[in-house]
Amino acid sequence: MKPIDPVKREKALALLADTSDSKLRTHLNSCVRCGLCATSCMYYDTFHEAKYIPAVKVDIVASIYKRYNTFLGKHAPKLVNARPLNEETAEEMVDLLFGSCTMCGRCVTHCSIGVDISYLVHKGREMLAEMGMVPASLQSTVDAAVQTGNNMAIPVEEYTDTIEWMEEELQDEVEDENARIPLDESDRNVFYTLNPREPKFFPLSIKAMAKIFYAAQESWTLSSKYYDVTNYGYFNGNTAEATLIARNLHDEVLRLKGKRLILGECGHGSYANRWEGPNYLGHSYEFDMITAVELIKEYIDSGLIRLDKSLNSEPVTIHDPCNLIRNGGLFKTLRYVLHASCSSIIEMDPYGNDNHCCGGGGGQLAMSEYNERRLGIGKIKADQIRKSGAKIVITPCHNCVDQLLQLNHTYKLNVKIMTVAEIVANALIL
Amino acid sequence: MEWYHILAWVASVICFGIFFGHFIRLISFGLPKDKAKTQGKTSAGIRYAYINSMMPQHKESAYLHLPTYTAGIIYHLGTFLSLLLLIFSLINIWIGWKMPELLGWILGGCLLISTLCGLGVLIKRIVKQELRSFSNPDDYISNGLTTIFQAITALFIAFPHLPAIEIVYFIISVLFLVWFPLGKTRHILYFFFARLHLGYFYGRRGTWPEH
Repeated sequence: MKPIDPVKREKALALLADTSDSKLRTHLNSCVRCGLCATSCMYYDTFHEAKYIPAVKVDIVASIYKRYNTFLGKHAPKLVNARPLNEETAEEMVDLLFGSCTMCGRCVTHCSIGVDISYLVHKGREMLAEMGMVPASLQSTVDAAVQTGNNMAIPVEEYTDTIEWMEEELQDEVEDENARIPLDESDRNVFYTLNPREPKFFPLSIKAMAKIFYAAQESWTLSSKYYDVTNYGYFNGNTAEATLIARNLHDEVLRLKGKRLILGECGHGSYANRWEGPNYLGHSYEFDMITAVELIKEYIDSGLIRLDKSLNSEPVTIHDPCNLIRNGGLFKTLRYVLHASCSSIIEMDPYGNDNHCCGGGGGQLAMSEYNERRLGIGKIKADQIRKSGAKIVITPCHNCVDQLLQLNHTYKLNVKIMTVAEIVANALIL
Repeated sequence: MEWYHILAWVASVICFGIFFGHFIRLISFGLPKDKAKTQGKTSAGIRYAYINSMMPQHKESAYLHLPTYTAGIIYHLGTFLSLLLLIFSLINIWIGWKMPELLGWILGGCLLISTLCGLGVLIKRIVKQELRSFSNPDDYISNGLTTIFQAITALFIAFPHLPAIEIVYFIISVLFLVWFPLGKTRHILYFFFARLHLGYFYGRRGTWPEH
């Protein structure tokens, strides 16, 4: 392993001395290493190795904090396991904080103290980002977003072709030549965003949302340049890159004079924009910003769209994306929309705020280095789905869709994976 | 006033002074300056974090580990009781009030139970290879010292007339007070701030309170 640049190391250490609020200091000093968090972590539940216990992930960050910021850590480091930030520690951090945590936050709600473990994991990732130690595959995803405006580096021509194709499909489906998927139009009520997986692999989900907009007679637009709702800068811990990505989207909404930014179906993208975006930019956004699920609920509430749930009669189950439900507070909203769209819903156990991650969160889907682990921990979700007996799994997150598709294949679940827009579009009465 | 009384007083002043410093510092740092629009009720989330979410039925760390959870709760109650009794004992050096024997026996009995719970938690850490693998000396010192502190408090309360116990009690108290703000035992303060931050986080998002 190559030696850590001393200047970068100092920058990484400075992150632990942050006193802009009491959150970091509090959580770094709270864990008592009782180990009772173990069973709330998918990694531990799957592999049964002590290193996967959330407390161990907290400890590696806290041990560095102690070494440089506490009396005992400075003068008697062995007494409190205060560790120096060196190559060995950093390498261990990469494996534990990038490769062994989806930042789902399930352990946080179950911690006997209330340590915000995912927050500390993120802080550790920030330190690693400062030292240039982000796993290459994750960094390349961020680089693509920074350089091209979307994390899959889809060229504008390819993207616009896909949008035009979907527009034709929409016109055929609703039998109306005036049905549109607008691009780069200004002064629209809704500025809609996509996960690049949609134009790349699942364009029909774009058509599904367009059909909902059509039914609601919404005034909306997509951007041809900055339409990407994701922000892997949140996962790689590089705040400067996360800020740049968030700013690109923010500025594009202003440029096109969009009145509302609607965050497409993406858990972390919604989290990074809705909850972190204003903090990255240092100010509240000038426009309203909600998720697609919340917008669909508004349409249902206001009677702008009408649904016939008998059109979705097969039993469905719901996968709750951690960043939208536990960390985003949309449990009731999601249930409201899906109960209006489907006639038979079977909940998994556990579900809602206590759900298990699909295994693809925390940037895991972008880190091919840890594919085997990711599919391994996904067995927990696969077992939940199988036990539910549902034929369709609905989730408002394209990253979760991707992981669930892989679980479907790996564990031979024989289910259909759908987004919320797709299931709602299916139930629309036009 | 004996030398061990003076030592205990000095240790108390240092200990509580350090904790007070930590407290003031955390208060001055404040809550995160979050610029995102609030979605839920922050104050309700904070209340929920301190009360409902601490209930055993809401925590896997409790309902999947009931014996440990129960022992932990009793152990912590014992620590708070011992601390209260220590403050009382320090003040009582001047007042000289004699605690009714029955009350002393009852409190001593309670502390004996909490001592056994603390011992149980310590033994679990020593015996369970997995737990041991990520434990450090602080875990054993904090757990051991607190357990001994409770045990000696029990003895002192139950047998206040034995001078040897009094000396040992104040010496152990000094050791405990010195370690208290330095070791992981300082979570006695940080715990409350951790719940505050958690309630703030989930409250703003509307995740808590759960209905």
